[in-house]
Amino acid sequence: MEEKTFTVTEITSYIGRKLKLDPNLKNILIKGELSNFKTYPSGHSYFTLKDENSQIPGVMFKGNKDRFLKFEPQDGMKVIIKGKIEVYARDGKYQLYATRITEDGLGDLHIAFEQLKKKLKREGLFDDAHKKKIPTYPKRIGVVTASTGAAIRDIITTIKRRYPICEILVFPTLVQGDQAAPQIVRQIQKAQNYAIDTLIVGRGGGSIEDLWAFNEEIVAREIYACKIPVISAVGHEIDFTISDFVADKRAPTPTAAAELAVPSLGEVKYKFDNLKGKLTKSITDKIGENRMILNHISQKPVLKNPEEIYEIKGMHLDNLVNRLNFTSKNIITQNKAKLFRLENAPILKNPNEIINRKAERYNRNVDKLEVLNPLLTLKRGYSIAKSKDKVITSVKDVESGDELDIELDDGTINTKVI
Amino acid sequence: MENMSFEESLEKLEEIVNKLENGDVPLDDAIDEFNKAMQLVKTCNDKLNSAEEAIAKIVQENGEVIEFNTND
Repeated sequence: MEEKTFTVTEITSYIGRKLKLDPNLKNILIKGELSNFKTYPSGHSYFTLKDENSQIPGVMFKGNKDRFLKFEPQDGMKVIIKGKIEVYARDGKYQLYATRITEDGLGDLHIAFEQLKKKLKREGLFDDAHKKKIPTYPKRIGVVTASTGAAIRDIITTIKRRYPICEILVFPTLVQGDQAAPQIVRQIQKAQNYAIDTLIVGRGGGSIEDLWAFNEEIVAREIYACKIPVISAVGHEIDFTISDFVADKRAPTPTAAAELAVPSLGEVKYKFDNLKGKLTKSITDKIGENRMILNHISQKPVLKNPEEIYEIKGMHLDNLVNRLNFTSKNIITQNKAKLFRLENAPILKNPNEIINRKAERYNRNVDKLEVLNPLLTLKRGYSIAKSKDKVITSVKDVESGDELDIELDDGTINTKVI
Repeated sequence: MENMSFEESLEKLEEIVNKLENGDVPLDDAIDEFNKAMQLVKTCNDKLNSAEEAIAKIVQENGEVIEFNTND
């Protein structure tokens, strides 16, 4: 049996097909250390992923990099790569086609971060209502951070420059490693016994692992429970830790924390001088205003020429006397005239006239009475019918059997209605 | 008034200035307020000027407080 002979291309594409058909190699996660990471002008990156015993060449195309690569990969970095393994026919080698590259270990930290953040948020540890106001003019600032390094230097320099009348108390602590979180917690507790106005808790920049202590639950809870207002200052602007969310104020850097913690003395003095100026002006104005009112009042004629009051009153009195004289004279004249008229009234001249007039009037009234007298009417033959002393004016006033009194001129007839 | 913090003093001072500037305060009261304010000015001034240069101190593990040297 003749053995089949393959060309290189044939056997390469055969192996290629074999690998392509293996579902295990289609979507695979591989961890290792990056080396020879190099990006070509095309934008594609080539690298080798290795561990102690083996290595595998890899490529990440520009499209995937632009969309999914969140950091700058560097040689020596521990990474986890997601992708597929296929044959690169031209070089006769298999290689890893990467779709995602993430830092190894980071994934777990990210998950832990998100979980704790969600939990504490749900418990209300991030609520604005719980956040304390940072005092504007602190007398003493506490700092919980490493006693060496840029962070503490930046904080002290900034506070001394801006507000040199403030005291700084440093509570040294480890800021990374396993012992960091419990130490930070202890120092926050300790700081509360030192009459501190504002507490800065933080550290300088570093990798996510370096900053991790500030993502620990015990640290977050201690910051939340702290009775002193806390400013968190962890890493750089871009770094957010759980401490930042739970603190009363988050500062992007240690220097910024110092700026938030103290005012600028220059500004305070300016504000103060301004207030002093306003105060003096306002009281000077007030006094001026009152002096003007006083001047105005003292210029009033009554105060300037008090005798005028008497002069005016005197004039008024004269006027009254004149009027009184005039009126009394008038009254006398009028009464005199009246008396004269009365004395000369005709009636007084002839008194009998009055008696005559009265007699005449009396007679006229007697005549009138005669006409109206009802007894005269009875004399003429009319009579008055009464029932129980009531004059009957209608047939409806009586019923059959009623007793009636008929009054005539010379007596009364007692009768009964049939 | 002596025991007020700098912050409180400054706030009180601001309050008096506003009152004197805006309010229709009778002169006697205004002078009272002014004197009070001048007292506050003096207290604040003293605090601003007489305070010594800020000192950074470090609280050691044993509770001892010593001066902190940033050049370490």
